This record gives sequence, structure tokens and C-alpha cells, in this order.
Amino acid sequence: MNTLIKKTAGLMGALALATGLATAQAATPSVTEIIERANQASYYAGQDGRSEARMRIEDSRGNTQTRQFTVLRRNLEDQGRQQYLVVFSRPSEYRDTVFLVEKNPAAEDDRWLYLPDMDLVRRIAPGDKRTSFVGAHLFYEDISGRHLEDDEHRLVEETAEHFVLESTPKDARSVEFARYRTWINKDTWLPERIEYTNASGNVYRIMENAGVEVIDGYPTPTMMRVQDLESGGQTIVQFRGIRYDLGIPASVFTERSLRNPPRQWLEGR
Amino acid sequence: MAEWKQWLTAAGLITSLVIPPALADDWGSDDSWGSDDSGWADSWDDDEQTSRLPFELRGFYEAAIGVHLRSNPVVEEALGGKEYNLGENRVQLTLDGDWRSARYRLSGDLVADGVEQAFRGELREALVSFPLGERIDVRAGRQVLTWGTGDLLFINDLFPKDWESFLIGRDEDYLKGTSDALRTTLYTDQVTVDLVWSPLFNPDNYPDGGRLSYYSPMAGGPGVGGQTAASVSDQATEPDDFPKDGELALRLSTRHQGVEYELYGFRGFYPDPQDQRALMAGTGKATHPRLNVYGASVRSPLGPGIANAEVGFYDSVDNRSGDRAGLPHSEWRLLLGYDWEAITNLNVGLQYYLEWTQDHEALSERMDAAGMAEMAGEEYRHLLTTRLTYTQLRGDLMWSLFAFVSPSDDDFYLRPSVRYRVSDALTLSAGGNVFGGKEESSFFGQFEKDSNAWVRARYRF
Repeated sequence: MNTLIKKTAGLMGALALATGLATAQAATPSVTEIIERANQASYYAGQDGRSEARMRIEDSRGNTQTRQFTVLRRNLEDQGRQQYLVVFSRPSEYRDTVFLVEKNPAAEDDRWLYLPDMDLVRRIAPGDKRTSFVGAHLFYEDISGRHLEDDEHRLVEETAEHFVLESTPKDARSVEFARYRTWINKDTWLPERIEYTNASGNVYRIMENAGVEVIDGYPTPTMMRVQDLESGGQTIVQFRGIRYDLGIPASVFTERSLRNPPRQWLEGR
Repeated sequence: MAEWKQWLTAAGLITSLVIPPALADDWGSDDSWGSDDSGWADSWDDDEQTSRLPFELRGFYEAAIGVHLRSNPVVEEALGGKEYNLGENRVQLTLDGDWRSARYRLSGDLVADGVEQAFRGELREALVSFPLGERIDVRAGRQVLTWGTGDLLFINDLFPKDWESFLIGRDEDYLKGTSDALRTTLYTDQVTVDLVWSPLFNPDNYPDGGRLSYYSPMAGGPGVGGQTAASVSDQATEPDDFPKDGELALRLSTRHQGVEYELYGFRGFYPDPQDQRALMAGTGKATHPRLNVYGASVRSPLGPGIANAEVGFYDSVDNRSGDRAGLPHSEWRLLLGYDWEAITNLNVGLQYYLEWTQDHEALSERMDAAGMAEMAGEEYRHLLTTRLTYTQLRGDLMWSLFAFVSPSDDDFYLRPSVRYRVSDALTLSAGGNVFGGKEESSFFGQFEKDSNAWVRARYRF
């Protein structure tokens, strides 16, 4: 944990030190402002973006699986509605499988999965969001972000580098956690660590972001890890080919892209 | 001892195949988790592939076996004493590529079939797809086509189905047969229009004797109904006049505030040879009667799940008055469904399905007079289905039960299965197809003796 923070700070370099000093002297922002800025940095950077990702999924016995995919994203509103298109290339079982999300923070997200072998467009039930995303330790909800309104947030600690928030679900039955803590970097506003606690008070799931680089002006994690402490497994995600503000048109985020993935934008590096 | 050594060598070879070398070295270990980025640049899979070939090649090898759960003398006789109706080794190769703005795909299976004791090739896909201007996509060639909202129930999806594969225990993907078709899709701001033209009629691969027995009202001679494994297709012809006997399928779809609305139209033929006139008169073979279908569907999130409704009118063009013997009657078909995650990792799908035969009284009277009253069926055929899916190990282990139950026909069809994804390459699965019913003539009841259990192993590359 400490090494992770140091590395991140190191990456940020002199800029981080300079602004860090300024932040420390400023008044503490409100909880709402912190979560909104963190949400902005994590999921809303730029008007749109693309990224290639690969995941290594490890179980407790050391068996590994991989997934490789490209994510396209487009914002429709500030901190509001968004569209995601996720197109898989590996492994061969998932090739050309496409996941389309219309994120709608005011209501439920709309999600579709296209299975090319049967030419089938399957719609995913709204309740089904904290289950494994294509076999990884990530959940569907981790890909496009959990709605801020679904939890109560409060600031529990402020360190030199982080705001530490604790969030509790408004509808405890809809989730498997009792609460979670988020360490938000004061300079980048990126959550660097999230610890999920279960009803018996044990931390059972940890999510971390690392390898932060400034890309097109936006601090961006290039690695992510989700550990499942109960099963002993973990998933590591690496990102590359990240770009922002490409001007991806709305037509990319439609059913058309399920059968005909938009190669111009997927391969745009 | 020597055998053990051979076995170990083979196991070692398989292990080295199962674990791709790219994974072995360059992902960081637990502590550093690859935060030095030297490990990334060279090992993303697509880089190596695209530099070598202009297209991409993938596929799988699969071994499958399915055995009867009950003695089924008619099928076992038809199969030369075999008590299994699925036993095959299959290799599928798929080739994908781009040329300018066009995309092509060629996919075929090579099957060593132990039931038929023969090799055969099956062309699954041979298609090219390309945009035509800004708003039109075209896909031409052999392809798999699907639409509609049902789960294993199809009202407005009249594209070919391979029921035989489905019933004997092949992968569920094989239920969708192939069409030789031209699909054109127009995207406008409001509506998406799909038009599929199949220049030649593509029938279903319906239960055709041989591997599957079925009920025939004349199995034991005129007026003596019973179980048979006689070939249906031997006694049937297919519409094959080009272009008159082609098929057209149309779909209009739109979405408003998260709700999907669709309208459908179909002009073609019944997918199984239901025109029995010539056969009954002893003057020829059965054939596929003309069929038009008009329908609509809606699909929307509702509460924690997804709700869907679909309706279709099956217009039996040559028997609109319902008074002609040997031809199917028109029907209304209706489907209501709901699917949700009841508890974490347990998904429940429920469906109600109705077939309402028009002019059923006339049909009943005719069948009665012909001494095969059981073939008239019920005026209202009700069907309930449930799909229960429970996943463990983040989906690597999946338990599933799909059940069809018909209160009107007093019959059922259960599809239990378990699938274990050992690695990205290897998947093992086992399951069954269990049929039963009060009458041996009912839709699922007729397959009672075809009940089977199967296992499959698939290795992808």
C-alpha cells in the first residue's frame, strides 16, 4: 500500500508536490465536492475516450485466464448520462462479443450483450450488476462506475495525500458489502484504493489504481487490481492506447456497433 | 509402466498447449504487479497475429457423446444397435479478415460422426459484410440470423433451427441453423429496418427419425399410431423454385426511453413439411406449406429485471378458411417473459407461451373422422418455461436448468446442465434432455424415449 502511494506520488513528480502544498493549505472541500471530483476523474475525463485493456484473472491456485478488449466511452452530460462500448478480442471464446452500456445515474443503466455465435442481442437485467464481469474479479458495475446516489458518503479522514471517504449503501439488500472506504488522491482526485467491508466487519475486497500517467491532460491510471480476499484470487487490468477527446460520434454507441464493431475507433492508435 | 510414461508425456504436451507462453513471464508477480512497464509493450496478443497473417484464424476441437436414458428400440434399430445418438469429434475453424471497409468470415466444421460412421463437413458461415453509404450495412452469404425476444421460444424468428442438434445434446449455439441470405440493415435516426432475403428456402433440421424417434399416427399401419424413427425428410420435398420460393423477413425496430419496440413481417414457408395432402392421398410427398407471419414485440427493464412480450399471427396462406385437410391452421402465438437475478449469481427466467389454433373445431372433427383425433392437439396450447442459472467461481462453473412444462398437453422437457471452464482453452460440460408426458403423441411426450444424457469437452485455440 505504502509503496503504491509512493510510486504514484513519484510519477506525479514536481507538479504533485507543488499543488499538494497548495491543497493542504486550502479549506477542506465538502464530501459532495470530493466524490464528484473523484467521479469526474475516474469515469468522466474528457468528452470521450478510448482505451485498450487486458485482464489477468488469477484464482487462489494460481490458474490464470486472460481477457482483452477495447473500451470506447462518450459523455452525454456532465457527471450524468454516458455511453460505453466494450469489444472483446481475446480469448477466442469471447472474440467479437460486445457489451453496450447506457449509463443513466438518475435511473437504471441499460445494458446489452451481443453474442456473435448465435447473433443474439441479450439485455442484461438492471439488478444484475455486482456479479463477475466476463469471469474477472471486477463487477459489471466497476466498468462504468457505481451511481453516486446509491450510497451515503462521509469524510472519515484527511491525510497529507488523501481524502478517505466511507460509503454505506442506501439499499443494503442490493449489494454484498456493508460499507466501503475510498482513498482519493488530493492531487489527481483519482481513487487509489477502495476497501470493501462485509457485514461481519472484515475487509474482503480491495480495488486499487496505479501507474497514473497524464494523458491528453488527464491523470489516468494505467493499471488496476481487484483482490478477492475471501477466495484468494485477483484480477489485474492493464490499459494502453488511452486517448481522450477524439470526437467519437453518437452513432458508435448503437445496436449497429454490436454486429459491426466500429473498427475506425477501436483501432484508432 | 510404459503406458504411464506415454500418458504423462501427452499430459505434459497438453499442459504446455493450455498455458499460452505469453502469460508465463511478463505479468508482474503479486507485489510489483507489473508496475514497471517493460512487460507490456511486446506481448499484447494482437500485435503478433496481425503482423503475420492478413486474417485471423481460430477454432476449437470438441468431443461429444450422448446416450439414451431409456431403451428406445426404434431408434436403436435405425442406428444399427447403437444406444447412443450423439458421438462425435468435431473441429471448427474460423477465419476472419478485413479488406478495405469490408469484413469477411469463413467458418466450418469437420465432423467425425460415430453415429453415422462417416465424416462430414458443415459450412457454418461464409459471409462478407460491408457498409453501403452512411446508413446501410449489408451482410451477404451463409450466416446465422436471430431476432425476437423469446428464450428458446421463437415466434417471429423464422430463421432455420437445428432442432436435432438441440435435442441430442450438441452445444446450444447449434440450435441456430444457417441461412444463405442477404441481410440489409438501414439505420435512420428513429427506426432501424432489417430486410433479409433468402433466395432459396432453408428448412429447419427438424427431428427426422434416425437419431430421434417421434410419434406418427400411422407408425403401425393405417390408423395405428405409435413411435417411429422413419425418416420424415425422405417423404418430403422442399420448395426450390428460384426466385419464387425465396423467403423474406422484415423487422422494424426502435427504442424510446429504454423500451425496445419491434414490428416483424415474414413471407415464406413452414419450416417443417406440414403439407400432408399428397402423402395422405398416396400421390406424392409432404411439402412445406406457405406461411406469412405478422408480429410485434416489446422489451423493457421492469423492477430488478427485464420484461418482454411478443405476439405473432401465423397466416397459413393456403388454409385461411381452416377447412382444408392436410394443411396447418392459422395460429396466434403469444409470449410473455421476465428475467432477473433473484439472489446473487442465481438468475431466473420465466416465460408463458400460448399457441391458439384458429378454427380448431373443424380441425378436431376432421382428425376424428380420419381416426387420428390425437393429432388435432388442443385449441390453446399453454407452455411455461423456467431457466435457472447459478454461477460459481465467477462464472467458470455454471449450473443450469431449463424446463418446459405444458399444462394443456400434460408434458414436459427438462434441460439440466453443468459447465466448467477449466481454462480459457478448455471447457467441460455435461447435461441431459429429459422428456415426458401423459400422451405419447404430445409435443414433448413423443420424445420420451429419446431422453438422453451427454458430456462434451471443448478445447479452443
